[in-house]
Amino acid sequence: MSGSSAIIEDDTRLSTLDRALYRLETWLALAGGATVLALVVLAVIQIVGRKIFNAPVLGYIDLVEQAMAVFAFLGIAYCQRLGGHIRMDILVGRLEGRMLWAFEWLSVAIMFALSLLLTYGSWLHFRRAYDIGDSSIDIAIPLWPAKLMVPLALSFLSLRLLLQLWGYGRAFSRNEERPVAVPLIETAEEQAQHEAETVSGADDDTDETPSGGEGRHGTV
Amino acid sequence: MEPFEIGLWVSALLVVLVVCGLRVAFAAALAGFLGLVWFFSEKLGFDRGLLVAIKMTGTVPHSKATTYALALIPTFILIGYLAYFAGLTRAIFEAAKRWLGWLPGGLGVATVFATAGFAAVSGASVATSAVFARIAIPEMLKEGYDKRFAAGVVAAGGTLASLIPPSAILVIYAIIVEESVGALLLGGFVPGAVSALIYGGLVVLLAKTRKDFGPPSAGFSWKQRFESLPGALPILFVVFIIIFCIYGGWGTPTEAGALGAFVVLLMALRRGMKWHQLKGALLESAKLTVMIFTIIWGVLIYVRFLGFADLPAVFAEWIASIDQPRIIILLCILLAYAVLGMFMDAIGMLLLTLPVVFPAVVALGYDPIWFGIIVVKMAELCLITPPIGLNCFVVAGVRSDITVQDVFRGVTPFFVADVVTVGVLIAFPDIVLWLPRLVLGN
Repeated sequence: MSGSSAIIEDDTRLSTLDRALYRLETWLALAGGATVLALVVLAVIQIVGRKIFNAPVLGYIDLVEQAMAVFAFLGIAYCQRLGGHIRMDILVGRLEGRMLWAFEWLSVAIMFALSLLLTYGSWLHFRRAYDIGDSSIDIAIPLWPAKLMVPLALSFLSLRLLLQLWGYGRAFSRNEERPVAVPLIETAEEQAQHEAETVSGADDDTDETPSGGEGRHGTV
Repeated sequence: MEPFEIGLWVSALLVVLVVCGLRVAFAAALAGFLGLVWFFSEKLGFDRGLLVAIKMTGTVPHSKATTYALALIPTFILIGYLAYFAGLTRAIFEAAKRWLGWLPGGLGVATVFATAGFAAVSGASVATSAVFARIAIPEMLKEGYDKRFAAGVVAAGGTLASLIPPSAILVIYAIIVEESVGALLLGGFVPGAVSALIYGGLVVLLAKTRKDFGPPSAGFSWKQRFESLPGALPILFVVFIIIFCIYGGWGTPTEAGALGAFVVLLMALRRGMKWHQLKGALLESAKLTVMIFTIIWGVLIYVRFLGFADLPAVFAEWIASIDQPRIIILLCILLAYAVLGMFMDAIGMLLLTLPVVFPAVVALGYDPIWFGIIVVKMAELCLITPPIGLNCFVVAGVRSDITVQDVFRGVTPFFVADVVTVGVLIAFPDIVLWLPRLVLGN
């Protein structure tokens, strides 16, 4: 299993592009995180409003379901950049050099094709809602903005995958050992080290960042 | 070709893709998509079949991921990340130490119950082990505890986090098998407590029987004991919120999770959490959330196809027709999970297998809630077994003076204890089902 990675950076064009895209992806992911926070506050207002003032938030469930699209999808490319989507690396983890990069390239190519297909499929789903003017049950919020999140997020994912195809392709052609801009497989030791860093300092009154979002990961 | 034969081929393809290292979410989505193409091509011809498959697949992510019950997951994840900033880890360890330190192996027992307590605000096993490796191990070593023993306690204690709510993995289980989220969450409390008691008993036993393993700590006065409680109180408060929101009908589990997150957030802010720390916690939560949602909709595309292929029903029928006592079949399934868990992340493993395995287990007559707790316990077991028992690696990662081998050796008695726990839960399913029944009725 693997859910984490280290990404090497340098001043090549590939790495520059990678970091530019990463900044954008970080904002999208942060929008997701902020939405979670907003929903937490909304739920508190809902409970307090309902229990104490007998005035629940109008269309609360509709609001939550629409907002969910933000954190459910927008961070998908961010997660891919950091190698956060879990996989089984018992086999690929044993490969080295060109063989490894060929394998990774193929696996990203498959994802890329699938991502394009899903972008198209989810776009059709959005278009139906947009054309009909579909809206939510309770307070009639239009459904298309939430549905649009899917093809939007998948487009960013496709971009990210394209970049990784470039990265792995370059690693293959140059037979690199530690290529830039792509997530590298980590051993259990390295993963554990990152996990340890993620929580270090957080329980003290120190100024350390527990995660900083710089490529570290957490595990459920 | 018969639909279920298509199902078999596509499932075989899925296994190959996953083993070859394709990201699980995308492997499942691809297999599901190809299966739909195959299925509809046979009915409508390739061109129309392809279009139907694309449209159907394109519908799943939005319609399945934006269901209200799933909104609970990010709030639980957020609670976990914020809990580190709320000063709860040290507070609960201090309280556990003062109340339980007098026992043989007192600090070890305190560590077990501190991790169990912290589990009530966190669902992250590996992270819990990491935190307590930093807090508890130095204190245990100072008192002359065996190094391996100290490391083993922390690695094992971390596994309690996934069982005791808030636990994202229990929510995921509930959603994928379409059972009550509330019942699953409530179902985790007592088995989590039983696990902790069994761990605690084991620590006392080891400390008593082996010399120099873990001497008791000096006693604390009652005044000191009570003084340690207020710092740990928010944890009780979160537990209280989750149980009573569901029980008292104050709100849905999703609202309960959000309220819990809000309390922990206030605590963290009061302790002076900085903006960049909050940003970091939000980003980490967002990343983990999107990972989980992606794998959920990916697997649900596969499940969509399975529905047409009728594979789960055929498999369930076959399992139910095996002429063996059902307990044997159950043990085989659990053994398969134990092996699979050695190579795969718990969430990926459960999501991939449950659509097929779950109907079979229900066909055998086992309770869905009970099975959920057992499976999660099995998945946790894999965090302390070689080759990739992450909890052990993380403890060794935090402590430069302790090797992974040390931790694996130290954790072995706890592994045995876990097997005993699973046995106890199988023999007495009421341990799991008592609280959900009490609170929610039948």
